[in-house]
Amino acid sequence: MKKGLVTALALVLFLALVPAVFAQQKITVWCWDPNFNVYAMKQAAIVYNKTHADVTIEVVDMAQDIEAKISAGLQAGGAGLPDIALFQDFRIEQFIHDYPDAFVDLKAAGIDYSKFAAYKVGPMTVGSKIYGIPFDTGSTGLWLRTDYLKTAGLNPDNYAGKNMKWSDVVKLGVAVKAKTGKPLLAYQSDNFDMLRIVVQSTGGQFFKPDGSLNLRSEAFEKSIGLFKELNDKGLLYSVVGWSDWINAINSDQSAGFLNAIWMVGTVKSRPENAGKYMIVPTPLIEGVKGASNASNNGGSSWYVFSSSPNKALAVDFLKSVWATATPDTLAFYNTILKGAGAMGTFLPSQSGSNYTARDEFFYKSQPVFKDFATWMAKVPVLKYTPNYQPMRDAVAHAVLKYFQGKLTSVDDTIAAAEAEYKQVMGQ
Amino acid sequence: MVQRGAYERYVNRFGWFCVAPSVLFFSVFMAYPILSSLYYVTRRWKGMSNTFIGLGNFVRMARDNVFQAALTHNFIFMIIQVPIMIFLALLLAVLLNQGIRRFRGALRLAIFLPSVTSLVVVSVLFRVLLQTNGFLNNVLLSGHLISSPIGWLNDAFWAKVTIIMAITWRWTGYNMVFFLVGLQSLDTQIFEAAEVDGASKVRQFFTITVPLLVPIILFSAVTSTSGTMQLIDEPNILTFQGGPANETMTAALYIYRQAFYVNFDFGYATAMSYVVVIISGILAFIQLRLLGGERSAK
Repeated sequence: MKKGLVTALALVLFLALVPAVFAQQKITVWCWDPNFNVYAMKQAAIVYNKTHADVTIEVVDMAQDIEAKISAGLQAGGAGLPDIALFQDFRIEQFIHDYPDAFVDLKAAGIDYSKFAAYKVGPMTVGSKIYGIPFDTGSTGLWLRTDYLKTAGLNPDNYAGKNMKWSDVVKLGVAVKAKTGKPLLAYQSDNFDMLRIVVQSTGGQFFKPDGSLNLRSEAFEKSIGLFKELNDKGLLYSVVGWSDWINAINSDQSAGFLNAIWMVGTVKSRPENAGKYMIVPTPLIEGVKGASNASNNGGSSWYVFSSSPNKALAVDFLKSVWATATPDTLAFYNTILKGAGAMGTFLPSQSGSNYTARDEFFYKSQPVFKDFATWMAKVPVLKYTPNYQPMRDAVAHAVLKYFQGKLTSVDDTIAAAEAEYKQVMGQ
Repeated sequence: MVQRGAYERYVNRFGWFCVAPSVLFFSVFMAYPILSSLYYVTRRWKGMSNTFIGLGNFVRMARDNVFQAALTHNFIFMIIQVPIMIFLALLLAVLLNQGIRRFRGALRLAIFLPSVTSLVVVSVLFRVLLQTNGFLNNVLLSGHLISSPIGWLNDAFWAKVTIIMAITWRWTGYNMVFFLVGLQSLDTQIFEAAEVDGASKVRQFFTITVPLLVPIILFSAVTSTSGTMQLIDEPNILTFQGGPANETMTAALYIYRQAFYVNFDFGYATAMSYVVVIISGILAFIQLRLLGGERSAK
């Protein structure tokens, strides 16, 4: 019996060691969306395997609590972490700030950052160190259902490609609602993202250069005022949570939405949407200095953990596929754009055939990627800071209370957001 | 040989061998965290760095309206949900034990099933049912029971109702099983005697069944109370991160978010956990006194 136990233990030990030996040639990547970044990384793996057939790249779809898992791993000195992970651009500053030395300095590894969109490189830069490989852009537009516009007696061609003001959009929304009963925009009532798109398009900042909260600005006040107007005129179709928002869009509950390029995949996932959507530039709030008809939402980047035993291999993989211009890698960027609507921010890739192609899925075959790329160049830079997340929650909560009538003015709303932020931050 | 025997008398090696795994796991996963929490609680944590702030975390708590609101929500859920659930569980147990003759096994399984079902799956279904234009609102609207849709997920009041419904749905069957076991251990002669004396079924339920089941009610009440104090899954997934606007935020969820999401502040999270543990302890003590005292008086 004892012998059996010893054998069993030896077997367990042996099995535990086997992966350790072969781990030299394996890279694990965590990301979260099978139709988007998981797909893109798997395509990257195929490209890398052409020249490195012996390397296994495992892409894990870590949709649930990826950030909590990573912070637990970092607390444990890197235990259980993958070699590479994807981070939202608005989250990474908090991780870099709170976990110094957790990530590999990729500038030192020889990445040429002049080849990436500058607004993506900002959040991942600390002093002379740069930690990530920029992935996708979150260039935004106003997505409109042309079929509902027509039902409302409006001609979509009068709006296509036009730089609109929000006051025009409200008029359009009221007309569409009156005829079709559909609210103009699907809206996540618990979420900050749409407000962020509007504020960023004004060139507004949520934080001052010293890191303190900056909600009492004209840009922010006007944005909240606009949202209240949209809400009170019944132009928002409110849902709770991301999946319900997607569901609202793909079940014809609204006549459009305000969001980024990466919604292309979701909209295309439903064949009935074909020919219906057109995307116009992000509307402008009139009377705010520095406002532009462009904004950004989302976007993420790849990071290598310092704790990874395969650092060098992981860096080589990212560098040779994501940050070097070769015929293979440019074809790769072109592929993920068409396959998932993932528009990279690697500048040499932006001349690929799919970037300029007309897309028959959209109204009058709009060349959507060309349009988003054009708008991307005009996006005002937003400074996230490590405290973006608590600010995001506090503002979203206050705005919801304003919508529900528990707060009665823009001033009170800002005061409530500031109060919750301070309490959660322990200031 | 003699020596070995004497040695084994004091140290039963087989006994130690048997308990070794649990001693090991207890030390690593219970004793060590509790001891190290004494260190964490005095510090302001930020990722990898931390500073000593003494009782600063408790001062911060006293000023943190979000945490205080979260605790209040825990109390609201507890005071309303635990009695409803225990009554329902008891009622179902009696019905299954006496009233219903057919499909008893199938019904028992159906009522117990929610407590062993994955909450993530359930929440997806619940959210479909509870959307503003979801199934439940449509049924209520077409039945003219309400005039405008109820915001089950985004209205401050109704979101709390949703949470209470969800945890009641999930745990009633679990508690019912204890009551069923309790009922089956009761002597049927008592009920026969009551029947002969002309006591109605309702009278029997309140004057015989309930008093005899007090130990099980006590057990249910204590575990359910500590369960509601630890409530985290439903407000995190169903009403989405304690929404709308923190209106279903619970202490456990806020602790989790402070530690792993918003601030990486493990010190503050530990301090809040202390408060929750102390409150749970006091509540359990009160319940044992109230119900337990009655029992020993018999």
